[in-house]
Formats: sequence, structure tokens, C-alpha cells
Amino acid sequence: MSNVILKARSVHKTYTMGKAEVRVLRGASLEAQAGEFLVVTGASGSGKSTLLHILGGLDIPDQGAVEFEGHDVFAQSQMARNTYRNRQVGFVFQFYHLLPELNVLENILMPKLVSHSALSWLTGRGQAKLEAMDLLDRVGLRERAGHRPNELSGGERQRVALARALINRPALLLADEPTGNLDEKKGADILDLLSEFNEAGQTIVMVTHDARVAARAHRRIELVGGAIQSKRDGSPSVADSDSQPTHALS
Amino acid sequence: MYKWFLAWRYLHTKLIALFGVASVTLCVAMVLVVLSVMGGFLDTVRSRSKGLHSQIVLDSGFLQGFPYYAEFGELVEEELPEVVKLTSPAIYSYGIFRVPATSYTKPARILGVRLDEYLQLNEMRKGLHYERYYPGTTHLGMQQMPVAGFDANGDMQLAQDLREANKKWRQDEKDVDSIANFDAEPFELSMYPKVVPTNVGSRAFALGPEEPGYIGREKHGVIVGCDLLNSRRSDGNFDRHLARGTDVAITLLPLTSRGNVTGEPPVRVPLRYADDSRTGIFEIDSMSVYVDFDFVQHKLGMDAQDLVDGGKSDARANQLLVGIHDGVDLDEAAAQIRELWAGFVETKLMDVSPTDRYPLTEVSVMTWEDMQRPLIAAVEKEKILVTFLFALISIVAIVLLGCIFFMIVEKKTRDIGIMKAIGASSRGVAGLFVAYAGAVGVTGSILGLFIGSLFVWNINDIQDFLANLNPQLRVWSPEIYSFDTIPEVVKKADAIWVAAIAVVSSIVGSLIPATLAGRVWPVQALRYE
Ligand SMILES: Nc1ncnc2c1ncn2[C@@H]1O[C@H](COP(=O)(O)OP(=O)(O)OP(=O)(O)O)[C@@H](O)[C@H]1O
Ligand SMILES: [Mg+2]
Repeated sequence: MSNVILKARSVHKTYTMGKAEVRVLRGASLEAQAGEFLVVTGASGSGKSTLLHILGGLDIPDQGAVEFEGHDVFAQSQMARNTYRNRQVGFVFQFYHLLPELNVLENILMPKLVSHSALSWLTGRGQAKLEAMDLLDRVGLRERAGHRPNELSGGERQRVALARALINRPALLLADEPTGNLDEKKGADILDLLSEFNEAGQTIVMVTHDARVAARAHRRIELVGGAIQSKRDGSPSVADSDSQPTHALS
Repeated sequence: MYKWFLAWRYLHTKLIALFGVASVTLCVAMVLVVLSVMGGFLDTVRSRSKGLHSQIVLDSGFLQGFPYYAEFGELVEEELPEVVKLTSPAIYSYGIFRVPATSYTKPARILGVRLDEYLQLNEMRKGLHYERYYPGTTHLGMQQMPVAGFDANGDMQLAQDLREANKKWRQDEKDVDSIANFDAEPFELSMYPKVVPTNVGSRAFALGPEEPGYIGREKHGVIVGCDLLNSRRSDGNFDRHLARGTDVAITLLPLTSRGNVTGEPPVRVPLRYADDSRTGIFEIDSMSVYVDFDFVQHKLGMDAQDLVDGGKSDARANQLLVGIHDGVDLDEAAAQIRELWAGFVETKLMDVSPTDRYPLTEVSVMTWEDMQRPLIAAVEKEKILVTFLFALISIVAIVLLGCIFFMIVEKKTRDIGIMKAIGASSRGVAGLFVAYAGAVGVTGSILGLFIGSLFVWNINDIQDFLANLNPQLRVWSPEIYSFDTIPEVVKKADAIWVAAIAVVSSIVGSLIPATLAGRVWPVQALRYE
């Protein structure tokens, strides 16, 4: 298919802790189609988060490449990668990661603030606020715009985080266990929202170790032993005994 | 944009920022106070020096003085009418000041001046006590002691001329409070008759205390430095222990034209206390005694004297004071006078005996700035030193700020990760903390300027308050600092400089923590809650 927007090719990543080396990713490859809802499963510690961070340009692979819309993300300058994170990618984390000093609206506007200079913000501010309020509407939190994150429940915080991830209309939404910290009902609400956005055309790559969550995806792949094993749609996720990363002494 | 936004938000939501602001505030206030007080001190020295004596002075530096001062004075006035307003001779000498009735003695610096001319040369008139309340009545000529008496209604009264002078003052005085203060002080009227029986001799009784008037033998008047005779109260006013016209005396040591002691016993000169003078400079007010020029010249043997071999010696003065017209450049005027003097001396040197040449060749023409330069330079150095010391202390505050920012960065590691995840660059994050430091610096500076200024404006009240608690806390001693009050002016330029340096220092203090913030590895920061 020609509609591939994200492509990872044999990504390797090794963490060194003192003398111990943790080889987390060992040749992981994947492709995501535009408009797709792709889920990566894997046991805890299998390197899902690491992979997602690399896809989003937050972490740098030791080997391999990530291509976004045909451009190699890690061949670009640091600046271009900052822009990539700001414009093309939206992150949603397990722990929401909102800025506690800012209210809901300000949190959502943060990606806009990052890409605007003080001057352009003066002129673009009104439009940006409208877009933010629109997104808040869609996640059902319009009345909470002025609240601080610590006044919100976990589910509400995650919806704010989702709105923040989408404010710059990124081509790619990366979600790392977005329901991991929520009870079943709230988790389901978030998944409903994700599906909704996906139906509206948003490409989503989500990482989870929860089989029920994974069931919402178009396509599931599994990270085992630092590499991707493809799965057919709808088949249950199987925790592979081999999925633990190998720890070796250097 | 997010830099400024977040910096501002952190500033007023983070308690820890208050500590940073507080340390900047304290340093700014401290340095501003020091700078203002020392700068005010310096300015006071300058402005008081200017109005102290004379704009331009010819002085040989020799105690026996130099001749031809009068001739040269005329010459200058004639040759440079556009420049020179007036010239007046002066004599300075050292002697003993004594109040016979109380056996009070003090060393004194005796200044012989022509008072009417001298008052035009400087601002001495402003500091004369009796001249203020009885304008036109202070002089250094022959005078008696004024005494109060009673009018037909039994009210205490002074002599006619004093009464009228006082009336004139009341009409001209714009400060209503000072009239009220004058009337509230019973001292002015009551002091005179009280002293009558003690030391004016039998003629006082002949006149009788009932009638106001003048009593006692006629003597030359003397103006005495206010700290020489009076005691200073903590409110800055003086307690005057002597009545106007009281007998005082100075003892002089005449010198020959070559600077030898004449060999005769020291000259005791009886005088009447005519007024006291306050220049505000303690060294002067605690030492100076002003007497009539011609009178003291004669007493010191510096007037023209018959020589044994016939003829007359030349009269001598220690200084020729030159007043300059408004708007004339002082240094230029001094240069012109210097040139004139050089030519003048040339012609005179022919006439004088070789032994008398020396004081003449040594005469220099100085502006008030030249004369006060050593003092001003010393104060300037002191100002720089003290400011430097306090600036050094402020470095401690910069280190403290660095620590505070370090803690903030530590606490905000996760937020830094978030910002990077949404596209902030390392430089942008570092810039955020620098902007934050700038905001802390600006806020601290504004508060510091405010507090420091308030402190400086009320510094004398604060000092009085402390001194009331414990006299040991009176830190500003007039003996040390020359002035009776602490300067209370904050200069705009000082304030701007202090604030600017404080802001820059805060930013410098934040550079290392900010760099660390820029280097935060987002993946690590985001891994956990
Ligand atoms: N900075 C690091 N230094 C050392 N080891 C690391 C580092 N980051 C991750 N690891 C290790 O890499 C492995 C993979 O971590 P990662 O967070 O990607 O797993 P995960 O699949 O997301 O797990 P979970 O489901 O628990 O979130 C883990 O064993 C972890 O301990
Ligand atoms: Mg994870």
C-alpha cells in the first residue's frame, strides 16, 4: 500500500546501566497506514514505551530508521525533530503528564504556545483558543476549561491530555497505555474517544499490554524479544514467555 | 512564547520563587541604601564645600600670609570686571577660644573676614542663628550686649531695633512652623535678662533690668561655630548656653612676616558673642571663630607697621577671596586670575627684600573644587569601597539564587520532559528558566528599589527611633561624618544601575541550572508519575 505514513525499520535500542546492558529493542520494524488504529502489545518491560518514544522522535535509536511520510526522522536536525514532535506527532501518556501550574485550557494550548513567538501569539491567540475550546467540547470538558489538573479525575485528566495531543492537528497520535491508570469505565470512555477521532481520520499508534484494550484496534502487532511479531485482527494477545528483554553483562 | 508564559506562571504560583525574589529584594535594597547614603554624603560634601568659603581663593599656604593682597584685589576687579564680582581679604590663624564667665576653653580656628563682603561670597548667612530671627543685626564691629526689659503692660521686650528686625523676619518668613517654634521657645527673650546680673558689671544696674536696651562695654563682635559653643540635641537643634552679647575672648599668637613668633606674649582679644554659624560640616562648626578682618589683622600684627629704619612694612593677609559672576566658568576664571597674578608678582618681586619673596611666589589660585579635592576624593573612594563591599555580599545572594533555581529545575524535571515531548527545544527550555530568573530579578529589583527608597527617605527617623531605644544604636555620628543628618536622596541613575545589575546577576545565577534543565532527557523524565 502506498498510504504508509510511518515506517520503522529494524530499530535497535540498548540501555546501559553501569556494567549491565539491557537490549530492549532488537530489530523492531513496523508500518502504519494513514487513518489506521494500530496497537502494539507486549508484556511489561518488553520495550513498548521505548519503541513509541523512538517513533515520536523523543528517543534516539542505536540502529535502524524511522520514516515519517518518507522522511527519515533521525537524519534530520535536532530542530526539525522538535518541529516533528510539535506538529506531526501528539503524545498521550499513561500518567497524563499535564503541567500542574496551568489550567485545562492553558495545558491544551501548550503545543501552540511552543510553536508561536510572542508576537505571532498575539495575533493567533483568539483562533487558537477557539480551536482548544472546540476540542474541549469534543472530549466533553468545556466547563472545566478554567480548572487546574489537580481538580480533575484521572479520566478527565487523560481527556485533557488527549485534547492537548490533538491541538496542532498532528498526522500521528501516539498513545502509551492511555488507559493504564484508569478504571474500566473511564478507560472505555477514553478508548471510545480514540475510536471517534480515528473514525474522523486520525492515525493512531497505541501501546498496551491489556488485551481488552487491544481489541479496539484495526490491527495488532506484538513486541516480543525486542522485535515485532504480526498478529491477525481480533486474535487474542498472547503473552510470550520469550518477551522479556535479555540482560547481558558487557 | 511559552517561555514568558510559564516563567510568569511559575513566578506567582511557586512559593520557592518568593525566596529568590526576597533575596534579590534584600540585596537591591541594601546596595541602594548604601549607594544613596554614600552618594548623598559625597554630594553634600561637594555642595557644602562650594558654598563654604569662596569660589576662588588665592592662598600662599603660609600662616604669616602674603603682602599686596589689596593691590591685587583692585587690579583683578579692574582688569576682569566681566568675571570678578568682588574680592575680599581673609586671615586665618589658630588660637584659644575662652568664655571668661565659665572658664570654658577650646582650640579655635580664627577666620578674619569683612563680614558684609564675606556673606556675599558664600552661603554663611543661611547658617547664622540670630541673623535669621533678627535680620540685619549681626555684625563684627563694636557692640554691646542686648538685654530685655519690660514695657508698660509688664510684657518682656527687647530693644527697639531688635524688635523691628524680628518683625521684619516675621513678615518675610514663609515657613509658618518656624515662627510658631520661635514663639514657643521662651529662651530668646528670657535669656537676656537672666544673664544681666552675672557678668556685665555695674553699668547693668545703672540701666536697670526694667528697660530693654544695650549694656556693657563696646567690644568687637565674634561669630562662633555652633558646635564650638552649643550642645546639639538629638532632634538636631542646639541648646545655647550663652546669651547674645556675652563676653568671650580669643588668644592669638602673632607672627612676623617671616613666620617668627614676635616674641611678645600672646595677645588676648576680648570680644562679644554676636551670633553662631552653622555650615553643617562638623570640622568647621566645631572649630571656627569669625572676627573682623581689620581688627584681627591689627591684633596679629599683620597690618602695615612702622619699621625701625623708617618707612612701613606691607600689610599681609592669608587669602584673597574672589567671587565670580553667575554663569562664568570657574576654571576659566581661575586661569585668567592666575595669569594676572603671575604678571603682578613679576613686577612686585623687584621691590621686596629676598627674604620676603617666598610667600609671594608660593601663592596659588584655587577654585573651591581644588581646595576640597582631597576631601572629596577621599569620600569618593570610601563610596566605591563600601559599595564594592556590599556588592560582594550580593554575590552570596547570586549563589543562593543559583541553588533555588537548581531546586526548581529538580522539581520540574517531569514538566521539562513534557515540554520537550510537545516540541520544546533544549535551548527553549533553558531559555524558560533564564526568563524565569529574569522575572525573579525584575520583581525583586522593583520591590528592592521600593523598600530601599522608603528606607533612605526615612533613614533619619529610623535612626532617631533606634537611638531612642538605645543611644548606642545611633550609628551616624556627626563627629565622624561631618554632617548632622544622614542624606536622604535616592538618585534615579543609582536606582536604574542597581536594578539592572540585579537582573543581570539573577540571570547569571540561573545559567547553570538552566543549562541543566535544557539537558534533561525527556524519556527519563516521563517514565514515571
Ligand atoms: N533509561 C533506561 N535505562 C536503563 N534501562 C531502561 C531505561 N529505560 C527503559 N529501560 C529498560 O528497558 C526495558 C523496556 O522498558 P519500556 O518502558 O520500554 O517497557 P514497556 O514495554 O513500556 O513496559 P511497561 O509495559 O511496564 O510500560 C525495561 O526493562 C526497562 O527497565
Ligand atoms: Mg511502558
